[in-house]
Amino acid sequence: MGKQLAFYVDSDKCMGCFTCAMACKNQYHQEKGVVWRKIYPLAEAIYPHQERAWYSLACNHCENPTCLEVCPVKAYFKRDEDGIVVHEQEKCIGCGNCIRSCPYGAPQYNPSLKKAEKCSFCWQRIDAGLAPACVLSCPVDAIQMVDLDQFDATGLVQYAPGFPKFPALNPSVRFRLPKQPVVVRREDT
Amino acid sequence: MNSYETPLVLFTVLSQLSVGMVAVSAVRSFAGPEPPRKQIRSEWLVAGVALLVGMIASVFHLGHPAGMIRALAHLESAWLSREALSVGVFLGLVVVGIVLMRQKTNRGLIVLTALAGLLALFSMGMTYSPPSFPAINNVLPFVFFLVTAALLGTSVGTLFAPEEKKPLVNGIFAVSLIVGLVIYLIVPCIWLSGGEIMRQTGQAWIASPLYWARIVVGLVLPLAVLWKMKTTPAWLWVAVLAGELMGRALFFANTVHTATIMGGVY
Repeated sequence: MGKQLAFYVDSDKCMGCFTCAMACKNQYHQEKGVVWRKIYPLAEAIYPHQERAWYSLACNHCENPTCLEVCPVKAYFKRDEDGIVVHEQEKCIGCGNCIRSCPYGAPQYNPSLKKAEKCSFCWQRIDAGLAPACVLSCPVDAIQMVDLDQFDATGLVQYAPGFPKFPALNPSVRFRLPKQPVVVRREDT
Repeated sequence: MNSYETPLVLFTVLSQLSVGMVAVSAVRSFAGPEPPRKQIRSEWLVAGVALLVGMIASVFHLGHPAGMIRALAHLESAWLSREALSVGVFLGLVVVGIVLMRQKTNRGLIVLTALAGLLALFSMGMTYSPPSFPAINNVLPFVFFLVTAALLGTSVGTLFAPEEKKPLVNGIFAVSLIVGLVIYLIVPCIWLSGGEIMRQTGQAWIASPLYWARIVVGLVLPLAVLWKMKTTPAWLWVAVLAGELMGRALFFANTVHTATIMGGVY
């Protein structure tokens, strides 16, 4: 495997503050309703505590991206140097096939431009030696950019509970699961 | 619930009507003498017009219809590109057939066109079975489309069949109705025992009035009429078409996407 940039989502640190999503919005000023990065609360069935836990998710820049495979006009390409999946919006004809096909719901429809769009991993910032806006903004380092080729993923999971499993796509994301809260009882003290 | 995708509903159903009509005319051509050339030509004209209307409708689901020709750019991996090409080839063959039928009918061309139509159905089946919809990320879309082609091809095709071949066409129609009914009743029930997204899809289909209207209007009613009258009345194709349109709207609107429960139990 060559260099493959990925998002490392530390769900144990994430406090669901939405700063990453707002930083993305600030950077790109997407249309109302178009959200590249979303914060998903874990369902009670997965994390049954008063404490809450979240996954901050955007495009997973898969090794075998469905969006790229199904796009009839070749509006997607995967960068050789870092594996980022780029959407060339000027080529898009707004057929919606990528939006329908991505199981992670990453591509979104821009109703004003009548075209699809998605998280770019801030490749322009990366090329300029800067961190992606979401990574830079997180106050608790709960989201980081890593290279899967070099990253020690010990103790991390690719398919966390609440995140659909599609091995054929091989999404470039790794999760650290939230710790179970410690219940302190009166008799323990 | 997703969008009804009206342009895609019209495109898929009308193109499948067209493929069905051509396939029925091909099957009929092997069963003895055919009706006058003029009648087959009219049949193909109807198939061609339906296909053309469907293709025009499909353009309206694009954000930028002017770029439609570029949809052929990714034939090496995108089934949508292959779908566009195969439907275009099918339309071309239908037009050639209509033109040549001024002079004589050519059974080889009829069969070739029917095969091209089946290939187009397969491409459509692959296009509409992405991984994001686990309930239909399999052969089901192709099966649904085959059923649509068989039902519409026979119910409309019977209008053009000579009297001596009506029993053959009615027979195919009856079998298609029974097969379609069994498939549409069983499939959502099987989904109920699948993973979370499949289960939700099964529930969404069964809870939708479109599902039951599709079964009653498009399958049960035609089957009852056929059983009672022993022939296909000229109006019955309207009920079948209405059923297929409702069924296709259901297919696009009520099939559940994986991303809808992100953070939940899969």
